[in-house]
Amino acid sequence: MSTSAVAEFEGVVKDYPAGLLRRRTLRAVDEVSFRLEPGEVLALLGPNRAGKTTLVKILLCLCGPTSGHVSRLGRPANDRRTLAKVGYVHEHPAFPRYLTAAGLLEYYGALSLIPFEEVRRRIPPLLERVGLSDRSQEPIARFSKGMVQRLAVAQALINEPDLLVLDEPHEGLDPAGRRLVADLIREQRREGRTVLLVSHVLSEVEQLCDRVAVLAGGRLVHLGPLSSLTRDPATGATRPLEDALRPLYEISA
Amino acid sequence: MTLPAAIFVLRWLIRDTFRQALASRTFWLMVSVTGLCTLFCLSVRIDGPRSLTPEGEIELYGGDKQPLTGANPNPGSMTVGFGALRYTLFRDAEAEVRFLHSFLALWVAGAIGTLAALIWTAGFLPAFLEPSAASVLLAKPAPRWLLLTGKFVAVIAFVGFQEAIFFLATWSALGVRTGIWSPGYLLCIPLLLLQFTIIYSFSALLAVYTRNTVVCVFGSLIFWFVCYAMNFGRHETLAMPVLDPTVPALPTSVQDSVEVGYWILPKPGDVLILLDTALDAKEDFDPLPPSFRLVQTPAQPLSPELGTVLATGAFQTNEGAMGIPVPPQVFAEATYLSLQASQQGRGAFHPELSVLSSLLFAAMVLAVAVRQFATTDY
Repeated sequence: MSTSAVAEFEGVVKDYPAGLLRRRTLRAVDEVSFRLEPGEVLALLGPNRAGKTTLVKILLCLCGPTSGHVSRLGRPANDRRTLAKVGYVHEHPAFPRYLTAAGLLEYYGALSLIPFEEVRRRIPPLLERVGLSDRSQEPIARFSKGMVQRLAVAQALINEPDLLVLDEPHEGLDPAGRRLVADLIREQRREGRTVLLVSHVLSEVEQLCDRVAVLAGGRLVHLGPLSSLTRDPATGATRPLEDALRPLYEISA
Repeated sequence: MTLPAAIFVLRWLIRDTFRQALASRTFWLMVSVTGLCTLFCLSVRIDGPRSLTPEGEIELYGGDKQPLTGANPNPGSMTVGFGALRYTLFRDAEAEVRFLHSFLALWVAGAIGTLAALIWTAGFLPAFLEPSAASVLLAKPAPRWLLLTGKFVAVIAFVGFQEAIFFLATWSALGVRTGIWSPGYLLCIPLLLLQFTIIYSFSALLAVYTRNTVVCVFGSLIFWFVCYAMNFGRHETLAMPVLDPTVPALPTSVQDSVEVGYWILPKPGDVLILLDTALDAKEDFDPLPPSFRLVQTPAQPLSPELGTVLATGAFQTNEGAMGIPVPPQVFAEATYLSLQASQQGRGAFHPELSVLSSLLFAAMVLAVAVRQFATTDY
C-alpha cells in the first residue's frame, strides 16, 4: 500500500447483518479500490444506497470493513491519531442544542486535541467565514437547518484538516450557503488540501471536482477525471454530467 | 493516546456535561430543592440539652441532668419554620439533629435525590450516542473507550457536585443554627455517589445497546430494585434464624443461591447500612443489647426493659418504659439495627468487601458497555 496517497481503499468489502435473526448479510460495499491523491477534490457519486456513506464511515473509522485495507494520511484507518487532521461534515449533523456556536467549536476543537488558546484564536475568523459571527453566543437550539449546516462546516475546519470529508454538505443550504461551501472547497484545493465530496448536486460537482468515483450497488463503476465522464465517447462533445451518470446509475437498478 | 491528552479530553467531557446539565430545567429544580432544604435547616432552633448521654454510658439522664426516674421534666423543644412550628424533643438536641440528618440523607438525597438523578441523567448517554450526534465525535482522534468512560465519569462528577452542594449547605445550616457539627453526615456524599455509580453503570450499558432513554430509566430502576431485594433478602436469610429460632430454615440450595446472588450483584442495601453508621444513627440505640430478640423463647427471654415496652405497646404511643419515649420510627430503626448487629456479630456483613464487590460489578458492566461501544458500527 502506497504511503503517498491521502487515503487509499484496497479491495474494501462491507457487509451488514440483515434479517430478523441477523443471520443474512447485506453487502453495502463490494471490492472497492481507489486512491485519494494529495490536493485533489474527488467526488463520490452514486444513487441512494450505493454505499457512498458507508465508504466514508469506513474511512473515518466509524465502522470497520469486513475485508480489505484502508489507509488514511499514510497510516492504517484504525489508527485514530490521523483523525486529528481530518475534518468531517455529516449528512445530517445534530449538535448538542444546549451549546452555543462558539461553545461547540471549543468543544469539538478540544476533542481534536487542539490546545484551548489555539482553538479560541481560530473561532472568530471561522464563524466569520461561515457567516455566523453575529450568532456566536446563541444556543444552537435557535439555529435554522441551514445555520446548523454552516456550523457543521465550521467545525470540520476547526482543526485545519489535511483531508476534508464532506457528506452531502449542501443539505438545507440556501444559494448563499452553497456558494460558501463551493468557495471553501476551492480554498482547500488552493491550499493543497484534499477534499472528498459526496453529493447529489451535480452542478457543484462539475464546477469543483478534479476526479469522480461512481458507486452503484456497492461497486465502483467508474473512476477518472470529470472529463472522462462528461465527454461523449461517440461524438467527443461535452455532455451534462447527469446524462453521463444515468447509464452508470442504472447498473444498480 | 497519551495520558495528558486523555485527561484533556476528559476535562472537556466533564465541562460539556456540566453545560448540558446547566441547560436543563431539572438542574434548577434540584438547586431549588437544595435551597429549600437549606432554608429549612436555617429555620431550625433547638432549645434543650445538647446531650443526655454521659460519655461511655447509655442514656440515663434527663434534661435536668438528674437520673431518669419518671417523665422527663425538661425535655426541651425544637422549632422549625423560624418558630412557626414547635414540638417537644423526644430526646436531646444531638439526637434531634441526627434525626434531621437521617431524614435529609436517607430520604431527600438518598431516595428522592438518587431517583431524580437517575431519571434525569438517563437521557444523557443515549443523546450522546445517537448516531447523527456521535458520528462527528467519533471522527475525532479521541478513542471510543475514552469518550464513553469520559461521559460516564462526567455524569458521576456532576451528580457528586450536586450532592456535595446539598450536603455541605444543609450541614452548614444545621451546624450554624444548632452548634452541632456531625462530620459523619458528610460521608454520605461518597456513599450516595457510590450507590449512584453502581446503578448508573447499568444505565450506561442499556444506553450503549439501545440508545433509548425510556429503556435506560426503567431498566436501571428495575435493576436497583432487584439489587435491593437480593441484598436485604440475603441479610434476612441470615438474620432470621438468629432473631427467631422458631422460623424454619430455608433449604441449603436456596441459601447458597441467595449468597451467590448477593456477592455477584451490587449491594445498595449495604450502602444504606453504611449510611446509618456514618450518620451515627446507631448511637441512639446503644441501650439495646447485642443479643436483642424480637421473639421471646424459653431459652432466650426478652430483656426486661424491652419486654415492658412490647408488652404495653407503649412504643406506639410515644411513651416508653421508665419514662423514655420510644417513637415508632425509633423502634423500627432499633429493629433494623438489631438485624444489622446480628449480621455483624456473625461476621456476615463485611463493609469493605461489600463496597469493593459492588464497585467491581459496576466496573465490569462498564467494561462490557465500552467493549460493545468500541465495536459498534456507526
